[in-house]
Order: sequence, then C-alpha cells, then structure tokens
Amino acid sequence: MKFSFRYIQDKIFTGFATGAAGLLVVVLLLVLTPMVYRGTKAVVFQGTIEYRKMQLDVFGRGDIEVIATEKAKAQQVRDKLYAMIEGFKKGLDVDVLSGRAKNIYRNYGKEIRDKELASEEFRRRRELSRKIRNELMTAFSLSDKEQIKAHLDNVLGYKDNTDFEGTSAKDFFALAEEFSEIVENIDLKRRKEYANSLGEIEGAVLKLLGPLPGDAVPALVQDRYGCTRMDMAKVQIDRVLYSQRWVSQANNDSLVKVKISRVQQFAGTEMARLFDFVENNADAMLMPKSTFYWQYFIDDSTAGHYFGGVGHEIIGTLLLTIVAMLFAFPLGVISAAYLVECASDGPVTRIVRMCINSLAGVPSVVFGLFGLAFFVLYLLPLMGALSKGCVLTASLTLGVLTLPVMIRASEEAIRAVPKTYKEASLGLGATGLRTFVKVTLPAAMPGILTGVILSISRVAGETAPVLFTGAVALGPLPKSLFDPARTLSYGSYDIAVGDRLAMQVPHNQYGMVVTLVLLIIVLNTAAIFLRAKIFKKLKGL
Amino acid sequence: MKKTNRIAYVLVATIMLMASVSVFAEELRIDGSTTVGPIGDAFAEAFKNNYKGLDITVKKTGSGDGAAALIDGRCDVAMMSRFMKDKEFKAAVEKGIMPVAHVVAMDGVCVVVHPSNPVKALTAKQIRDIYTGKITNWKQLGGADMDVVIISRDTSSGTFETFHKLVMKKEEMCSATEYVSSNPQAHARVKTTTGAIGYVGIGFLDSAVRALEIDSIIPTKQSIASGRYPIARPLFLFTNGYPKPGTMVFKFCTFYLTETGQEIIEAKGFIPVTNY
Repeated sequence: MKFSFRYIQDKIFTGFATGAAGLLVVVLLLVLTPMVYRGTKAVVFQGTIEYRKMQLDVFGRGDIEVIATEKAKAQQVRDKLYAMIEGFKKGLDVDVLSGRAKNIYRNYGKEIRDKELASEEFRRRRELSRKIRNELMTAFSLSDKEQIKAHLDNVLGYKDNTDFEGTSAKDFFALAEEFSEIVENIDLKRRKEYANSLGEIEGAVLKLLGPLPGDAVPALVQDRYGCTRMDMAKVQIDRVLYSQRWVSQANNDSLVKVKISRVQQFAGTEMARLFDFVENNADAMLMPKSTFYWQYFIDDSTAGHYFGGVGHEIIGTLLLTIVAMLFAFPLGVISAAYLVECASDGPVTRIVRMCINSLAGVPSVVFGLFGLAFFVLYLLPLMGALSKGCVLTASLTLGVLTLPVMIRASEEAIRAVPKTYKEASLGLGATGLRTFVKVTLPAAMPGILTGVILSISRVAGETAPVLFTGAVALGPLPKSLFDPARTLSYGSYDIAVGDRLAMQVPHNQYGMVVTLVLLIIVLNTAAIFLRAKIFKKLKGL
Repeated sequence: MKKTNRIAYVLVATIMLMASVSVFAEELRIDGSTTVGPIGDAFAEAFKNNYKGLDITVKKTGSGDGAAALIDGRCDVAMMSRFMKDKEFKAAVEKGIMPVAHVVAMDGVCVVVHPSNPVKALTAKQIRDIYTGKITNWKQLGGADMDVVIISRDTSSGTFETFHKLVMKKEEMCSATEYVSSNPQAHARVKTTTGAIGYVGIGFLDSAVRALEIDSIIPTKQSIASGRYPIARPLFLFTNGYPKPGTMVFKFCTFYLTETGQEIIEAKGFIPVTNY
C-alpha cells in the first residue's frame, strides 16, 4: 500500500516537472518564432534592382556593369509606365493645357510682330488670337461636355480664317481637336476624382520605383531609391491597383473600409491599361532576386537604420560586454574569495552578503543613473578627461551591475570545492594564496563560468545602464575606450521610440533584436565550451 | 590552460592599445529629444558625407536629459521639443552656460482617431471635454455608439506638454486616460482600437489613422506653417552661447536654413520654418 503511494507520488512529480519544462519550451517558441521569422527577413529576402543600386552606391558592392545593364533594361519598361501616366495627365491637367494655349498665343504674337503689319491690322489679329485663347482656356476649365463643345466649336470656327494661314496659330486648332477627343473619352465631371486618384498613384509609383532618372537627387539616402525589397514593393503595387476608402453605410454608424479597384475607376480611359501593365510587368520593372544579405552583420547603417546592417552595433555590444566582464570577473572572484576564505562568519560579513544580494535586485536604470553621476560626471573630470559617456564608463557601469551575480556565483562555486583538495594542498606545504590560485580556483572555475554566462546575457542586453553612460544612436566606431559606441540594445530601443521608420522598416527592427539574441547565444556557447573543456581537464581526461 | 592565458593576454593588450590610441578628430555631440532626434540623425547623415573626418554622435534620451547634458557639458547641441524651463536656465547660468535657442522646424500635434470613426471634426473644447472625462461616448459627438478610449503620451514628454498647454489649458486629464511612451506606440494604439482618440506628431500621420479637423482647421503643412492650426510647436536646438561662425556647431545649427536642410526637415515629416 505504502509502496504504491510512493510510486504514484513519484509519477505525479515527474509529470509536473516535465509539464513545466514543456510549458517553458512552448512559451519560448511562441516568443522567439515570430521574432526570428521576421528578423530573418532582414537577411534573406527578395531584393530588387533598387536594392542592388543602393548596395553599389552606399557600400560599393556589386558589379557596376551588370547593374547598369539591369538598370537600363528595367528603365525601358518603366519608361512605358511613366509615358502612360504622363499622357493621361496631360489631357487632364488644366494648368498644363492652359499653359500650352498661352504659349501658342505668345508665339503667334511674336510672329505677327515680325511681319511689320499696319498697327491697326496687328491689333485686330492679336485681339482675335487672344479671344481664341480665352475660349480654349474656358473650355479647359469647364466640366460639362455640351458647354465645352460649344466653346471648342467657337474656336474651330476660325480654322479657315486666312489670317492664320501658315502661322503658329494653327496650333490652336490642333489643341482644340486634341481636347475634343479627350472630352469624348474622359468624363470630365470626374476630373477631380481622377486627379486625386492619379496623385495617389504617382505617390505610390515614386515609392515603388524611386525618383525619376532626371530628377534632383534627394538629400536623404532613404529617399533616393524605390522599394529595395519585394515585400515592400507589393504594398506599393497594391496601392497602385486599389484605392482604399472609408465609407459610411446605411445600417452602420461606423465607417467601413472598402477597396476600390482603380481599373474600374479609370474604365474607358487610356489609364485603364496601366494597371494590367503594372501587374504583369512588376518583375520586369524591379527584377527581384533571392538575396542573402549576410553583410547585414558587418555593415554600417544609414541614419535611422533605414538601409544597411548592424555591424557597428555588434562591435559596440561586444566591446562593452568584454570590457565589462574584464572588470567584473576578477573583482567578483576576489570578492568571493574574501567572503569564503578570509572573512569570518560574523555580523559584518552577513551584512556585506545581504548588501550584495539586494544589489542584485536593484533596477538597472538606477545603475545607469549611478554610472552617469559617478563615472561620467565625477570620475572622468577627476581624471582630467572630457566629461562624456564612453565605452569605459558604460562598461564600468555594466560591470557594477553584474558584480552581485558574479560574486554570488563565484562564492557558491568556491564553497563547493571539496575541503579535501585544500587540505591536501596545504598538507603538502603550499601557502594559502598558492592553494587558492592553483587548487581551489581551477576546481571552482566551471561554477564561476556559469556566473560569467549569466552575466554576459544580462550585460549584452541591458539598455537602461548604457543609455546615459556611453551608448549613442548614431556615431562612428569607437577609436578608443573614451569614445561612445552604438549597441544593439540601445539601437532596438531607438528604432522603437524615435522615428516613424520602425513602421517603414520593421525587418530592421526585428533583425536587430534577433541579432542581439544570436550574439548572446554565441557568447554563451563559447563560455559553455570553455567550461566543458575545463571540466574535462579537472577530471583528468 | 596556457592557450587560454595567451588569448586573455592578447585581449587585454588590444584593449590597452585601444585606450591609449586617441585620435583627435573634430567632434560634434548631439543629445536630447526623441522627437527632434530624426532631424538630428538626418542632419548627421548629411554632415558625415560633407565633412570627412568629423566624428558626429547622436543620442536620443529625451528633452530633459538634453538640457541636463548641455548644462553638464556632455553635449555640444541639445535637441529639445520644448523650451528650457526656468529651473534649467538657472542651473545653466550658475554653471556659466548660456543656453541659446535655435528653432529648426515646426511640428504639428494632430489629434487622431481610427479611420472607421465617422467623426471628422471637433472643437478644442470638445477634445478637452473628452480628455477630462465629460464626454465618454462617441454618440455625444455624432458618432457611433462606442466608448471613447483615451490615449495620451506620458506626462514627461514634450508632446504631452504641448497638448496639455494648448488643448487642455492645463486641466487635468481624467483617470481613464491610457498613457503610452512614444509616438509610434500612440499611433499603433489608435490604429488597432476603433473607439480610440490620441495625438501624434504630424510626421506620423498615414492612412491607418485619421487626423481630425480642430476648430474647422485641417492639420496640413500649410495650416501649421501659417500658424492657423492651433496645436503646433517649435522644435529647438540649444547651444552654449551663439556658436562662433565657421565652427561645426554653427554649421549644424544653421543647416536648417539651407535648401538641403529644409528638404530633410520635410522628408522627416516636419515643417520648415523658412518658406522657400
């Protein structure tokens, strides 16, 4: 009876333990999977010709000739698209049409002035041409078909007037005929709607393909290229093909989102061809290629992390972590050695130990403010250096932050070394220091390295302590320990809060976070390997 | 063990070397507001290309820290989305630092709602009533029968201060208000909540949220530049004294006057103070 009860108890315990571990794995997967999936997109994606252009301009990467040929090929297809938009716009834009009419009037004026006519005759012809011009301009500004027709007929009535024989005034009539054709094809009452829609299309095309070849180069690198990735391009293509409106519905107080196909909007006009063209030629215009952007991990980035990678951030994070560990490791081990080997178990030791334990629970931002007040504002001026956050101050702050963990782990590890080891060493005549350095410390090393592993993960990922003591959002690589550095943790924070860029380049945001996780895994793996090696040696294998 | 030792030695030596080598390049340190940060970033990008050998660092820790950094001498230029407070001025003067303000751009604070919300215009008073809790349902404003979810920026942000002063007339917000700590967060919260109302800088407007007309004025670049739109604020750069012409600080603080500078400010979603 008693035996079976113990059996069940054991089974229940095992079950719960397995369940807890399983839950942990599930939670970890739930958190990490979407993050890693999105982060991977920063490195593996469908890169367009715009991406290759950017890589060539900004990072000097890629074959100039190959890219030039690709560019020319894509441009041929793009030119057709631009021509379609331009053609439609010409017929629609009142300003452009009026401008043409004015030009003709001006040219004709010059011509008749050169003819040296009698002033009376000159004035008459000029009056007449002005009248025609005004008729045309009125026609352009109207939207009713019949009214326009009437005005255009007035203009065309002068077509056979002998005054205009062989002069540029003939262009008036060509323009009038062109416009009457447009009027037949386009419903001018919807001119405003067309113009709005066209504005949206042009905006999307600009984002999709970048500025036109002849246009001025934008000041910011981020505006110089079209969509560099197909996933971003698809969003813009969708904006070209469909317009989104929020409309009210009879039985509902809230507005409802509707997607209107622009093909229907422009049905019956020249523009209708454009949408099929965009859909079918997207690949020809953008030339997507599967891209593996491994340089993401070594590249610098443009302002706000729009293009480029996280190379500088990785170097900064590594530098901060290593210097912090160089500071925390010896100090932690020595403190632990003192607590275990030298200090007697009195009230003072107990208070010191309690302080260390509570220090481990202090929020990291407090350490950051401490680092700012002590290292940056007090210690640096004392040393005669410029008072500014730098790698050294940030590392020291991180070192202080992780010291409690280091001390606790080292203390436990040193305490766990069998007493017989020490006794044997002392018995052979070694001094206390020699015993500690040669016997106790190596035996405790695996445990101490566990502390290092815990510390590295914490130090590399902390944002608050480095925020005020040495991390910057943008800056060159540190040349010495007295320069600030960029870190992955502060970089992620910066993307999230600062700019609207996070909304535009989410892959870079996730990429940075995943890089941080990867970096910590790599550092930890290195430490674990080191530990395993030492462990092996200790066992005499 | 020996190998590990050697690695450790090399590491220490490298770091010592790095500490000793100090190249004296010209430096420009910029610190401060997260709102003005994008302008700082973008200006820095332009400067990096124009002046090789210039070390320019940008840090975004908030307007308050920007002022503190200028006072401590931790930065050359402090970006701020609000003017310096009396206290900060006093602290600065006591330390022998004379803060000088340069207005680089204007920013409009837009009141935004979910695009499905039929309410398109409100008066400043109505908005105040929402935030003080007098109006709790959109029905009271001619909208759908839907509770108002009030989103505000955290009280330490410059955006909050602007809103608090210009719209709330320094009245307290009601306890139902939900505080978020950044512009993107406020945008995301309104985007995903049908009954939400919040406020963001004009640079954050897109098709996912709708900006309301306030006192029948639509927030656009024109209405903000002309001063007609009621919730607008200048964005500042603060320096210690007026920078000496020819220095990098001077070039940085006057960059907004150049055509490139204005183009950058517009590209970043702000409104240039100069009409070009």
